[in-house]
Amino acid sequence: MGAAGFIGRRVVAALSASDWAAAVAASRRTGGAADAVVVDATDEASLGAAFSGIDGIVNCVAGDGDTIRRNADAVFGAASRLNQPPRIVHLGSMAAYGSAVGRVDETAPLLGDLDEYSKAKAAADVRALAYPAAVILRPGIVYGPQSPWWSDRIARLLMAHRLGDLGARGDGYCNLVHVDDVARSVLLALRTPAAGQAFNVAMPSPPTWNEYFQRYARALRAVPLRRISARRLAVELRIVAPACKLLEIGARLAGARSAALPPPIRPWLLKLCAHEIILDVAKAQTVLGMQWMPLDAGLQSAADWFRGGGRT
Amino acid sequence: MILDVTDFSDGHVLQSDVCIVGAGAAGIAMALELIDSGIDVLLLESGGLGAEPDAQALYQGTVQNEQLHSPPDRYRQRRFGGTTTIWGGRCMPFDPIDFEARDYVPHSGWPFGIEELSPFYPKANRLVEAGAFAYTAEEAFDRPSRPMIAGWSPAHYTSNTLERFSCPTDFGTRYGHKLRAASNIRVVLHANVTGLHLNAAGTHLDSLSVRSLKGRSLSVRASRYVLAAGGLENARLLLANRDVHAQGIGNPHDVLGRYYMCHIAGTVGALKIDRPLDDVWHGYDMTDDGIYVRRRLALRPEVQRASGIGNFIVRLHHPRITDPAHRNAILSLLFLAKLIIPYEYGKRLHGGESADLQTWFRHMGNVASGPLDAAAFAWHMFTQRALAARKFPSIIIKSKANLFSLDFHSEQQPNPQSRVSLTGDRDALGMPRLKVDWRYTSGDVDTVSRAIALLSGDINETKVGRLDYDASQLEMEMTRYGAYGGHHLGTARMGTDPRSSVVNARCRVHGIDNLFLAGAATFPTSSQANPTLTLIALALRLANDLKEGRA
Repeated sequence: MGAAGFIGRRVVAALSASDWAAAVAASRRTGGAADAVVVDATDEASLGAAFSGIDGIVNCVAGDGDTIRRNADAVFGAASRLNQPPRIVHLGSMAAYGSAVGRVDETAPLLGDLDEYSKAKAAADVRALAYPAAVILRPGIVYGPQSPWWSDRIARLLMAHRLGDLGARGDGYCNLVHVDDVARSVLLALRTPAAGQAFNVAMPSPPTWNEYFQRYARALRAVPLRRISARRLAVELRIVAPACKLLEIGARLAGARSAALPPPIRPWLLKLCAHEIILDVAKAQTVLGMQWMPLDAGLQSAADWFRGGGRT
Repeated sequence: MILDVTDFSDGHVLQSDVCIVGAGAAGIAMALELIDSGIDVLLLESGGLGAEPDAQALYQGTVQNEQLHSPPDRYRQRRFGGTTTIWGGRCMPFDPIDFEARDYVPHSGWPFGIEELSPFYPKANRLVEAGAFAYTAEEAFDRPSRPMIAGWSPAHYTSNTLERFSCPTDFGTRYGHKLRAASNIRVVLHANVTGLHLNAAGTHLDSLSVRSLKGRSLSVRASRYVLAAGGLENARLLLANRDVHAQGIGNPHDVLGRYYMCHIAGTVGALKIDRPLDDVWHGYDMTDDGIYVRRRLALRPEVQRASGIGNFIVRLHHPRITDPAHRNAILSLLFLAKLIIPYEYGKRLHGGESADLQTWFRHMGNVASGPLDAAAFAWHMFTQRALAARKFPSIIIKSKANLFSLDFHSEQQPNPQSRVSLTGDRDALGMPRLKVDWRYTSGDVDTVSRAIALLSGDINETKVGRLDYDASQLEMEMTRYGAYGGHHLGTARMGTDPRSSVVNARCRVHGIDNLFLAGAATFPTSSQANPTLTLIALALRLANDLKEGRA
């Protein structure tokens, strides 16, 4: 489910490369090499038909708060009605923990109090936990080739020296996880006996956002890294971001690709950069047997993709 | 969290595991290191979040010779963040030789070598936001960086060591949010320590008296105490408490307050380099992590040993600003801007020298002769210093004639006659005021004059240019602006013998089982290096001692 998205594509590829699964790629639109079906991921009846004969479901559907809620209701509702409820690996998010700070493991309350997305992610996890054969994966910041935000837009902002060392505003922890690690965790979750459980999925000792920007900038050769002042960030939020929005609207009206436009820096990104939360991933390591791609190798793969003309 | 004395009722007793006095570079670094350690930390700060004249006035005192030392309320700040609110940000570690007992430097030798601080320097470097702990050009760059003078390798000096620059980072502004959020740290503002109360045997610190300028009185009871109030104030606090030990705490052998060092610094000579303009580079480079760095000429350690002189570095510099004979529009612009440049920086730009009307006119003439240069420079300083979060560190003027002066920074020898003591005057809280009697020795003059002579020899020997200087004027030049401002070292020196030191190798006051000092007061010798990075590394080492139960 969500097989055409950034994570979904990697999961489909990983499943197809395995010797134990045949992937069926389900999304709003067709495409890809694997068997593909077109489904409305928020429609229970449509999903019920698609789930027939499926042993395991990976739910990578992304969207706004409303989509997330309706998708969770539809997926788990449709699966519950099957005679043999299949294993569902549900891609949640660290956003479900909301404003929690410090080291956070899977027993932490799902505060979901950051914004509508965080609230919907928490609600979807609650829905998933009520389903007996679900495994919930809560990734942190999923980066890697084709990551639209964390490897593309951040790269463009670093190349333009609009992002850099944010000082105190970048002291939050960046719970990075490479998209290939997420795909691997999905494959492990499909086969783990630990159903009905959640797993945090992120590198164990995350860098701060400042460190992430520094290391990614180095991999991109977008150096020297610039110190971004509070004054400059205020200009970004109050002047540049609205201007970008206007450009985006203009481009859409003109039928042009808005992805080529300069990306805005949004308030939620700055909030995230200051958020001092560390995902505790001990459980994913011990129960699922997860191992992680070294950060420098992961960042280099993202930088190579970007410098090779990448775009999602 | 960050609290104020007014959050507590009069007479309240604050309890904690560790009490740190002073929220400056050392105190804040320690508190950060102790976050989530399970240790309950109280961090007392005399001032508030911003500058407050009444709090700052508590630093007032006297100096023996105003030509040789600035007033004690200058170059240090009594507020949250301490003197990091005004510092210049120049960073480099001490050199291994600085820790050695050198027979040619009286009273030299630390109770440990640089390897004791090496584990803490990288973190100190991160705290001051000076990037990677890489202090040679080869370590800092993965590509060849511009040499100071292409192809030049002087026999007595190296030119590959770097200075790295902090933003300069104000620790209060930068790290206040971390202290606010930490559940085991309580910062209390406007909390002036006025009394250190020992047990009857004088071996254990029982409690502190704390007062605010508005009359609120508190007590503090902690298991362990750290004074991190600065190189002058730590000595003052210990000297002022004499109810159990008649000469002050930690002072049975009259060592406290003595051996006061700053650095010896000055600008001398006229160096003409006979090389193409492009072969000479005396400005800043920027590392990949966005840090300004600059090369300097450093006297080789083996040369120091062979010559029997102290540690010494020198930078290529612009001619003295005050003399309009330089005919440089930018330098004259700086002269004319003297009224808006803060005292701490203006002193070495203008030296407080009074200028006659004719001098002012000549400077105006210089500016008029190069208005574009002056405007470009002003714009650069406005955008890259005034507006920038990471500030361009200092004034760099590219000489079109390859003509420079030499800006040196030299180790000052420890000298028991150079000292701080208490006067009969008292501040608004009844604490005795400080008197500073800073002195230099013939050994200090010797270090500077012989180091410059060695450099002059190198220049002649290699035929890279010519250095003209008046050797007879060196002593005057090295004291023209007095002791280097803001570096307050050695007043409570570290050592193994209580007869010649105040604290032991773990920074604990001899004979007191729970009182520690953080900061440059504990430095037995001064190095050529600016002290902030090393005092932070030392403070981090002490914080780890506290965490791991070694202290």
